[in-house]
Order: sequence, then structure tokens, then C-alpha cells
Amino acid sequence: MPGTTIVITSGKGGVGKTTTVANLGTALAMRGRSVVLVDADIGLRNLDVVMGLENRIVYHVVDIIEGRCRIEQAMIRDRKINSLYLIPAAQTRDKDAIRPEDMKKLCDHLIETFDYVLVDCPAGIEQGFRNAIAGAHKALVVTTPEVSAIRDADRVIGLLEANLLKDIQLIINRVNQKMIRRGDMMSTEDICSLLSIPLIGVIPESEEVVISTNRGIPLVHEKKSSIAAAFRRIAGRLEGENIPIPSDNHEGGLLGKVKKLLWNA
Amino acid sequence: MEKEFAHAVQVRAQRDGQFVFILDSSLPFQMILKYLEKRLEESNRFFRSAKIIIDLGLRPFRFDEVVTLRDLLKNHWQAHITELRLGHRFDSFFEWASKLIGIPIYQIPVQEKEPEPVIIKQTCRSGTRIEAPQDCVILGDVNPGAEIIAGRDIIVFGVLRGIAHAGAYGNRESKIWALSIEPSQLRIADLVAIPPRQDRSSHTKRYEIAEIRDDQIQVISF
Repeated sequence: MPGTTIVITSGKGGVGKTTTVANLGTALAMRGRSVVLVDADIGLRNLDVVMGLENRIVYHVVDIIEGRCRIEQAMIRDRKINSLYLIPAAQTRDKDAIRPEDMKKLCDHLIETFDYVLVDCPAGIEQGFRNAIAGAHKALVVTTPEVSAIRDADRVIGLLEANLLKDIQLIINRVNQKMIRRGDMMSTEDICSLLSIPLIGVIPESEEVVISTNRGIPLVHEKKSSIAAAFRRIAGRLEGENIPIPSDNHEGGLLGKVKKLLWNA
Repeated sequence: MEKEFAHAVQVRAQRDGQFVFILDSSLPFQMILKYLEKRLEESNRFFRSAKIIIDLGLRPFRFDEVVTLRDLLKNHWQAHITELRLGHRFDSFFEWASKLIGIPIYQIPVQEKEPEPVIIKQTCRSGTRIEAPQDCVILGDVNPGAEIIAGRDIIVFGVLRGIAHAGAYGNRESKIWALSIEPSQLRIADLVAIPPRQDRSSHTKRYEIAEIRDDQIQVISF
């Protein structure tokens, strides 16, 4: 059975697309799936750095499309997980180097051998975006609970729908529960009602992300991280598991449980 | 005196750089002339060498008035009238034309079917632009970054967060209806308003209407 191509996009830059691709891809591969990550951010590639594979790049996606190498030659296997591969972007070219048809052909070829093809979309809505969505069956839109990111996400969802990509789900990244309780941050419900697409996951804000990026080891390898757990849950939901999304204002931990006991007494 | 003058000539700027002078329908021509002279004087060199479109609106066409206007603009300001719009009163024009050629002129009114309202049956996302010749109905929200432009009324069966421009061709009677009007930009005819940023979700409202009252756009909650 052929696999699925999923594009991870946002419109706004810096909201967590690359982090999501790296961690979600790793989480899916840890469940035994075969996954290939494709970096479509030509000219400003980041996925290789986040995966810790930047030193192993010999060929990249533009080489494949221009026929200078076979697909297998450009695929870099992950250091820890055997079923996870990366096709990096070119750093010395730009987004006009490939066309949407090229990307579609590549993705269609990859799903013959992989369960999941995750495409890391660049920021913006121009050629790079059009290339990245060309081969996708499904889209995950990443946003942060911030007015400008949500505005851009709304625009992108409109463009995806106009391109007949209707299977779109939302990931809200960098959520700060304290700020939501104080009323300084939009709640999950507010965001979902504005964007009107199904929510597939909520990822809390944490310093751990920057640390893991610098080390080149996706967070999902850490058993104890709450962010890793969030990504693992998203991977589960993608696979069809019915995992409820924790709602805002939920107070976890011992203090939370004690408070609940006191109120109910 | 000032108040009467205020509506004598409405000046609008077009995107191509031309100005439209819309003449008031009820004031005597002398007042319009006086207002124009004063306005041009006060605006310094702004209208010098300008291209101007004269819109008679509901005013009757009077050959001598038009010539006076043309000469005033040309001689004092080197401004040219590029277009004369007759607006709604053709009979005065036909009278003048029929005197010229010695034959009475009549126009048989054409029954123009009023354009139907444009109905959008989904939420308008950011980046969407809808243009409707008359009324426009949106069955859904209008998100920030979306624009709805209509010749007459705009009705949003949802939350209006984007830009709505009702009466885009100058119809000040146009209204904007929505279940909820959140801070965005409201435009009716030639007026623009920004609702104040306050916590308006505090009291329950069933729907809101924005319309022009006292020369301002006002939002009334029901």
C-alpha cells in the first residue's frame, strides 16, 4: 500500500515547522514506520542541522531533480533509527531551482517505498510554498498562539483549500499555560474557532527545544520531556489512535491533584 | 455658513491620480462656485494641473454652469476636466442637446434587472477578496486579512473581523450587518471607521449593524 505525503507548513517563519518535521518524523519511525523527511526550504536549509546530519550531506534534492544523482544517493539515514531518512535541501541554490511538478514526481516516487513522506515547507506563500505542497495529500499547519502567526496560518489554509488540499489539521506550538490563565495568551479554543480546522496537537513552550536543536538530537528521543510526549501523541493520532488532547487550564502534577481534592471536599 | 458649505463639493481621489468632484444637488450654483474657489485657494497648489472628473450627481445639466466650472479650473489652476458625469438627471441634458439640433430628445428607460446579491457560503479566510455589485451575504466568518467590497449592503452571518466596505460606489444608505463586529476597519461609501479596542464580548449581543448617522459610521448592538 503506498504511503502518505504530508506537508508541514505555516506561512509565518519560526513557529516550529522544522522542529515538528524532525520530531514527528522521528516519533513515527520509532513506532516502526518507514519515514523520509524532505527539506523543501531550498537556500535556507535547516532540517539537516536539527537532525544532526549536516556533515553527511553529499547530494541534495536539487541534485535529484536535475538528474545528477539517484534518489538513494541523496537519502541520508538517521544516526539512531534505521527506518528514518532525510533528503536535504540545497543551500547554494534558491527556491526557483525546482518546480511543483518536480516535487510531485519525487514525492509520488517516494511513497512507493515509504509509509510517510514529510515535507518541510519554507515560510511564505510563493514558489517555495507552491513546490512543497505540490505532492502532498495531507497538510499539518503549525501556528503559535500569536496574532500574526494565526493570521498567516489562516491565509495558508485558504491557499491549501484553493489548491484542493482539504485534509488539513492544526498544531498549536509554544503554548504557555500560565499566560493563558492570566489572559495574556489566546486559548486553544479561540484559535481553533478562528482557523476552523481540526486540531491534532498542542505543544508546550520549553527551553528544551533550542537545546536539542543545538545538539542535533530531536527531542523525541528524550523519554522525560513533555514536548517529546506531545509529539509522540501526535504521531499516535496520525496513525489513527484516539488520544484526547489535554484542554487548557488543566493543572497537572501533585499540586493540581491536591487542589482538586480540596475543592471537591 | 460653514455647515452649508461642507457638502457643496465632495472631493474624492481615484487610484489613477484623478480627482472626482461631486457637486451637491440642492445648493445654488453660485454657492458651489464660491466653495470651490475657497477650497482651491486653501489647498494651495494641491490641485494645480490636476485632472478632474465632474460628477453632477442629482444636479441638472446646465451648459453655462459647466463652462464656468471648466474656465475657473483652467484659468486659475491649469486643471483640466477630463470627464463630465451626468449622474441621474438626463432630462436637462437632453433639453440642451435638443435645442442644439432642433429635435426633441427622449430616452426610453431600460428595465435593468437589479443584480442579485452575491452569496458566499463559507468563511472568508485571510487573503480572500470578494467584490459584489450590490448586496453581499457571507454565511460564515470574515477573518482578519479578508476584504468584502459591495455596492450596497454587506451581511455577515458570523463574526466580522476583516475589512468590509459597503456602498463602495458612494451609497451612504448602505449598512453592514454581522452577528458580531470585532475591531477591524469599517468603510461605508467614503467614510472609514475603526471600532474602539475594548472588551466588547462582555455583554451578550444578538447582532450588530454599522451605518452612517450624523456623518459618522456608528455600530448599534441588538
